[in-house]
Amino acid sequence: MRVLLRLLAPVLGLALAAAGVLLAIEVIVGWTRPGEATGVLVPWPDWKSALEATTWADPAVLGTGFGIAVVGLLLVLLGLFARRSDITVIAPRADMTVTMSPRVLARLVGQRVRRSDDVASAAVTASKGRITVTATGWGDPDGEVGAALRSSVEGTVAALLDDVPLTRRPRVRVRLAELRGPR
Amino acid sequence: MTSEPTAKTLDPGGDPPKRVPVDPALRRRSRAAVARSYVGDRVVAVVVGLLLIAAGVAVVLLSNGVFGVGRAARPVLDPMIVDWMTANPMAARLIAIASGIVLTVLGLVWAARAVRPEPHPDLPVEAGGDTEIVVLASAIGDAVAEQALGLPGVGKARARVVGTTRAPALRVTLWLADDSHVADVLEALQTRVLAPAKEALGLSALPVAVRLELDNPPPPPRVT
Repeated sequence: MRVLLRLLAPVLGLALAAAGVLLAIEVIVGWTRPGEATGVLVPWPDWKSALEATTWADPAVLGTGFGIAVVGLLLVLLGLFARRSDITVIAPRADMTVTMSPRVLARLVGQRVRRSDDVASAAVTASKGRITVTATGWGDPDGEVGAALRSSVEGTVAALLDDVPLTRRPRVRVRLAELRGPR
Repeated sequence: MTSEPTAKTLDPGGDPPKRVPVDPALRRRSRAAVARSYVGDRVVAVVVGLLLIAAGVAVVLLSNGVFGVGRAARPVLDPMIVDWMTANPMAARLIAIASGIVLTVLGLVWAARAVRPEPHPDLPVEAGGDTEIVVLASAIGDAVAEQALGLPGVGKARARVVGTTRAPALRVTLWLADDSHVADVLEALQTRVLAPAKEALGLSALPVAVRLELDNPPPPPRVT
């Protein structure tokens, strides 16, 4: 979203500027050369007759109105969602701000969780409010082995969150999957 | 300013330092240094979007005859407006030219603001007499990054001066090694890198934003 906004901002600005230049040039040329039947770049006499022939009730006008509103909605959503999703870590000093991206937190959690011998593989997603760990182990996830694996993964993540103190401690969710086959 | 000695007299093995009350402005500056702000672009995008939504909805309503069936049946380029323009050609031209110029200026300003690189201010250092010493932003950044690279647990480091000459801040990006302890690295960064840098530059305050990344782990052995 932020990249899109970053790309879109200069493009929209330049488009706006180009439209303004065109408008000014067309008017000045039309003023200084009154006899001309057509504009410099824009065929405005054709546009004028076309616009005079269409009424507001025309389906094309309705469609254009919808189109404009949809583009506006997309721009509003882009502006609202182009926020940083940084996770803040408690800093040793108040004039220090420490942040990491959710991706980094997820990698940290993943590394710790995978260290355990009982975990065959793990997938982690992290956000400001929640860490979800999907750990794959051996044995029935709903049985005793699964319960032990779950508590060990939860303990690992809790220990990591103690090591990396976040300003807002996310909730941790552990999901288990079973890997069939020899260990 | 704030109680500066804390940075030097920290007991490395003791409790985490007590939070000294810090000027909220410093906190704001350190938070602003985290990344370049896109607030301006976002506000413009939302405002332009809202205007477009309003215009689009107005057109749809007009087209559906909400403002009167007779209104909807009139041409898009209303004869009333055309008549007014032929009656007052000079005013119409001036309005059109003026709005063209306004659009051009607004568009160029917006585009220029969007593509302008983030400023990295050089910092003046206290010098006697009429000598003026300026430390380049790149030099400060490189020096801090090199110092930070020497800390245990840091695999790669980068530092930039951001903000303004009068209110500078540091943006430090640390790529942590796998087994590093985040709190220890931050503490070491403060005492061994940032406090000396602040002193060397003769600054009363140097807010800092630290961004943590993970260093790429070395490739695993091919044979196990």
